[in-house]
Amino acid sequence: MLLRNIFLKNLRDRRKALFWWSFGLVLYSLFMCAFYPTIQKSAVELEAYMENMPEAIVAAFGGADNNIASPEGYLNVEYFSMMLPLMFIIYAIGFGSGAIAGEEEAGTLDLLLANPIPRWRVLLEKFLAMVGGMAILSFMTWLGLAVGIYAYDMDIGLGQLAAATFSSALLSFSFGVIALAISCLTGKRGMSMGITTALVAGTYLLYVLAQVAEPLEKYQKLSPFYWYMTANPLANGLKLGDMTFFIGTIGIFLIIALFAFQRRDLAV
Amino acid sequence: MSAVICTEGLTKYYGKTLGVADLNLEVKKGEVFGYLGPNGAGKTTTIRTLLDFIHPTRGRATIFGLDTHRDGVKIKKQVGYLPGELELYKNIKGGEFLRHFAYLRGGVDWKYVQELAERLDFDMSKPIRSLSSGNKHKAGLIQALMHKPELLILDEPTVGLDPLMQQEFYRIANEAKKQGQTLFISSHILPEVERICDRVGFIRRGKLIKVEEVLDLKEHAFRQIEIHFANPVSKEEFENLSVVKDVRVEDSVLRFTVAGPLDAVVKTAAKFEVINIISHEPNLEDIFLTYYGGDENAAS
Ligand SMILES: Nc1ncnc2c1ncn2[C@@H]1O[C@H](COP(=O)(O)OP(=O)(O)O)[C@@H](O)[C@H]1O
Ligand SMILES: [Mg+2]
Repeated sequence: MLLRNIFLKNLRDRRKALFWWSFGLVLYSLFMCAFYPTIQKSAVELEAYMENMPEAIVAAFGGADNNIASPEGYLNVEYFSMMLPLMFIIYAIGFGSGAIAGEEEAGTLDLLLANPIPRWRVLLEKFLAMVGGMAILSFMTWLGLAVGIYAYDMDIGLGQLAAATFSSALLSFSFGVIALAISCLTGKRGMSMGITTALVAGTYLLYVLAQVAEPLEKYQKLSPFYWYMTANPLANGLKLGDMTFFIGTIGIFLIIALFAFQRRDLAV
Repeated sequence: MSAVICTEGLTKYYGKTLGVADLNLEVKKGEVFGYLGPNGAGKTTTIRTLLDFIHPTRGRATIFGLDTHRDGVKIKKQVGYLPGELELYKNIKGGEFLRHFAYLRGGVDWKYVQELAERLDFDMSKPIRSLSSGNKHKAGLIQALMHKPELLILDEPTVGLDPLMQQEFYRIANEAKKQGQTLFISSHILPEVERICDRVGFIRRGKLIKVEEVLDLKEHAFRQIEIHFANPVSKEEFENLSVVKDVRVEDSVLRFTVAGPLDAVVKTAAKFEVINIISHEPNLEDIFLTYYGGDENAAS
């Protein structure tokens, strides 16, 4: 029964959205693979094209070491460098900013917290629901890609695919938890969404510009995108070192969320 | 036996806006306490502090002798709460909402939930989205009552109920009292409080002005009364009655204010042919001004 606890209730609330997101991601992942044979055929021209691109743009698409004719290079450039994290980030920020502030603005939080459940527990269950939602979307993406690489004969390990998808999810989830923390601090969903989105744009820009502008280079490690783009798990698999930045971010902002929510006066 | 609710100098400011100030309140076990005050008096502020949704600027509160902030979870096991501005999850059915909350409380007697639903004529199979505000209110009441808590904290519980359901609510409140439950009910309607409460605390502009037994209150309760006679009457006949004030006569209509038992008035009026008697309940402001006008300065 999906009303047994807050964790399940929150996933249940989003079950329709989860279904359509899953549907879309499976399809999109399949399509990505379906275009690979065409791209591969025109690989020579594309390589030349990429070489003439400004450095910053190449960086934005995952760096110069991606050979777009190879399956890994292709997926990195076309999918993992931009489109997939973007979709994951939208989902994560929506979930994170709404988890607490959504109920607060709808006016249902008073009633929920009149139950004998501590605030931290309510928050943790909602956090876990976010984890659950991201896990389902990641799995669906992986599934779509797995079917795709099989159907279009792309030579990538399923483990590497999983690593790359997971890495994307981890990046996006970090922003989701930042949105959660801001909504716990302010009780305002829209504000949390706005600030986090600005943060995504800002840190992305920082990463891209640091590739070409020397003075910015020493700050690039502040950008989650630097850690995400440089890991290249599709080729190398995912190492713990690549994830520490994200695990740290998630941990810190979860703690901020917990403290803020525990202390704050709730809006009516 | 210590008090069920006890506040010590409880004060809440929203920035510079006063919510409540220096509230010293004691609610005894088994009583029905009416918390009476006009809009903006600080009733909701008090209640939300008791439930640890907002934190006091100064002072503290205990429920069952436990600190409302430190032991909030323990307290809430034995508290049923109905918010003043009730909002429910719109994407589920009434019954699902109650089930969800039953789970969150670690299980309740579902037969009792069904019994409550039947009494309040609440249809659990309807989506909450489609419910009228009166029906949502019923769902709110049921969730407050369903675990048979020792203490019920109800913020303006009859607002939005039709008269029939109000009566049903009064019956339910009475039963709760008979079963030994303690009730803390906020309201801005004096007759309602007189009807169901044992004691009343008057709150205005964030200050508790007076706490009084309802029996005492009734003794000096005053009403404006209008008697329509068949023929013109003279006012002297009524002016001599000790309980009567402000007598005015227009032709055959007599208007006056009465404080205390009506007996003498009725017997005097009975000498004439009476067509109609109309009684106006005083509004809260009038009561505050008439009886507690002296505390006015302290309250502002
Ligand atoms: N969240 C809030 N922020 C600022 N002022 C508030 C807030 N909640 C209540 N107030 C103010 O506190 C006072 C008491 O309000 P409230 O406790 O809601 O009164 P009541 O429930 O008796 O109508 C009012 O002046 C109200 O405007
Ligand atoms: Mg109120």
